[in-house]
Amino acid sequence: MVFGILKIMMKEEWRLHTSLFGNRMFAFFPLMIGTGTFIASMFLPYIQTIMTTKQMLQSAHYLFILFGVTIGTFGLAGKEIMNRRFGQASLVAYSSRSLPVSERTIFLNFLIKDVIYYVILWIVPIIFGLILASLFIPVNTTSMLLVCATLILSFLIGLSVVFFLSTLYAHSSKLLIALLLLGVVVFVFFIKYYNLSMATLLLPYSIYYNPSLKKFLLILFLVFAPSTLSLLFLKVDYPEKKRQYKNSLTDLSNTFKFSTHSYYIAKDFLDLKRSEGGLGKIIFSFLFPIGLTWFFLYIFLEIIPTVKAIMIFAVFLGIVSASIYNMLTAFDTFNPYMFLPVKVSTIIKSKIISYLLISIISFVILVFAAISMNQLEWFIPALSSFVTISVYSLSMTIFFAGLHPTILFYNSKIFAQYVSTVCPLLFVFTIASIVDPYLMLASPILLIPTLLVLKKSYKKWDKWTPLNI
Amino acid sequence: MTVININNLTKEFGDLIAINNVTLSIDEGQLFGLLGPNGSGKTTMIKMLTGQIRPTNGTAEILDVNVLNDPIKVREQVGIIPEQETPPSFLTAEEYLEFVGSIRKLDNIKKLSEKWFNILDFEDQKNVLCKDLSRGTRQKLMVAQAFLHEPRIAFIDEPLINLDPIIQRTLKDFLLDYIKKGNTVFFSTHVLEIAEEICTQIGIIDKGKLLHQGPITELKKKKQHLEEFFLKLVKEG
Repeated sequence: MVFGILKIMMKEEWRLHTSLFGNRMFAFFPLMIGTGTFIASMFLPYIQTIMTTKQMLQSAHYLFILFGVTIGTFGLAGKEIMNRRFGQASLVAYSSRSLPVSERTIFLNFLIKDVIYYVILWIVPIIFGLILASLFIPVNTTSMLLVCATLILSFLIGLSVVFFLSTLYAHSSKLLIALLLLGVVVFVFFIKYYNLSMATLLLPYSIYYNPSLKKFLLILFLVFAPSTLSLLFLKVDYPEKKRQYKNSLTDLSNTFKFSTHSYYIAKDFLDLKRSEGGLGKIIFSFLFPIGLTWFFLYIFLEIIPTVKAIMIFAVFLGIVSASIYNMLTAFDTFNPYMFLPVKVSTIIKSKIISYLLISIISFVILVFAAISMNQLEWFIPALSSFVTISVYSLSMTIFFAGLHPTILFYNSKIFAQYVSTVCPLLFVFTIASIVDPYLMLASPILLIPTLLVLKKSYKKWDKWTPLNI
Repeated sequence: MTVININNLTKEFGDLIAINNVTLSIDEGQLFGLLGPNGSGKTTMIKMLTGQIRPTNGTAEILDVNVLNDPIKVREQVGIIPEQETPPSFLTAEEYLEFVGSIRKLDNIKKLSEKWFNILDFEDQKNVLCKDLSRGTRQKLMVAQAFLHEPRIAFIDEPLINLDPIIQRTLKDFLLDYIKKGNTVFFSTHVLEIAEEICTQIGIIDKGKLLHQGPITELKKKKQHLEEFFLKLVKEG
């Protein structure tokens, strides 16, 4: 029975995507990720000229933890998967309520299914790309295999810890804050009194250089304990209570009167506020990775003091900020507007304004980062870089995926187009930021083609027949 | 005056012909019932006539506006109740009507909303989030949003299915009164009793083909029951 549900859910996820853009386009997605990793890995010998192997490995482990962190918000999903995760699509998770199966069992299957899909679509192809590259570059294939194993462990730790934290958040945000504060105190205690380095605390990285059974067991504990606790204390939203609110739309839309889309923007903010999971997703999928990146850059500043960390942070902040658009669109398929006199471009424009308003948070984060890293002298170039990357990648997201980035990006063709337009820019910006941060002052020139792309996107999506999801 | 004019309309989904060369015209003041078995093409027809999906071939004009050229103008002038009720999850019922009112640029949204809360008797649910409303109440909300701007034509897709008998009666009376004022209703259903009771004209569709079109009085004159006529027609194909 248990694996029966998992099998059905696996099929369902496959069909959900393939019904939208075909078997081949979905199946090519991991192939593309693998090829991309392979090509990127071929540059490893060149990167080794500016970073040591240890620094590279440490960075890779941080990146895999971050990846796990960004997708580990299952604790919030308990509230939504039992409802309708994709607009009108009724999923097994939803319909299973009428079956004699506990919701915890359904959720466990949902979780396993999602992890399997992430591993198949992302992790395995990345590993495959790395191993394949090791045959062509001066890297030991056995070492690469071991690195791959420790990278997977990093991914699982990130995923499991955030699963636990998001479950905690679903119960009480105060409890989460208390635990995070406690975590910081314990962390500082270990660092100060036991004089432990970050490299030692980064267990999967540490086990690569100094393998030990104790470390391995500790890693397994970090992977399984938080996930098990989360499953035990999972909060599922039972529709017992009808939530009531006084009309806030009027007041909120008056706040946004500066825009002709004030009502749509007000709706976006109400969606985020009332959907609990929505605000939680901003915390866990945006603020949390940003906080971690900030922290990792602190460590890097110690390792490579010459790197202008604020510039690298601005590049990362720009690309992660663009993901806010994905969250905004996750609540709003076009279905509720199809029978109203509304153009797709109107909804897109309103989402852009909501996005820009929420991006004020990113701006504030950048200010604090510049102050705390003591790199205020590069704040203006960092700001230019952040704004350009953020708006440019947003425009590309809109051009290629319209109102459905979270779904259409699994179409390998669309994702390849997006990556081929955004990644070269990220690469150039990162290199330019390291060479001379003031070069970034010229980056806003890119806003001109960005606006043209947006204009073209409006026309493109107004002609489009909405997805039946 | 003809308000809905359909010429050789066809919709293909790959190999499936959902609507097959349909030609039809409907005058104002009619309550036109499009009847057909499940999957016969009723919803596809409504979606095409309101510009939600594009036809593969043919044209349709609603109030002299070509749907293919200007679907937004068509949707400005008509009211639509879709087959599946889809009010946004995190707005309350009252906020949703205000939201629709703002899209339709209505001035007195509050007053109009109150009117519909009263007509359909769900004033007590107006502060409840749409996702927490019962199916019936959500259906009431969809009825309210469709008629909020007092459109000249309403396209309604199986509107009575989730409603209780009292509200069904209220809505039927409202629709009859609505067409008396010169408005038009294009109504799809597979519940023949409802069609027989309120429609002035019917069209019978099966496998995308329009098998019959005419006033319901024709059948009444022949003392033929709609159910009997429908079953015979569909069986003969």
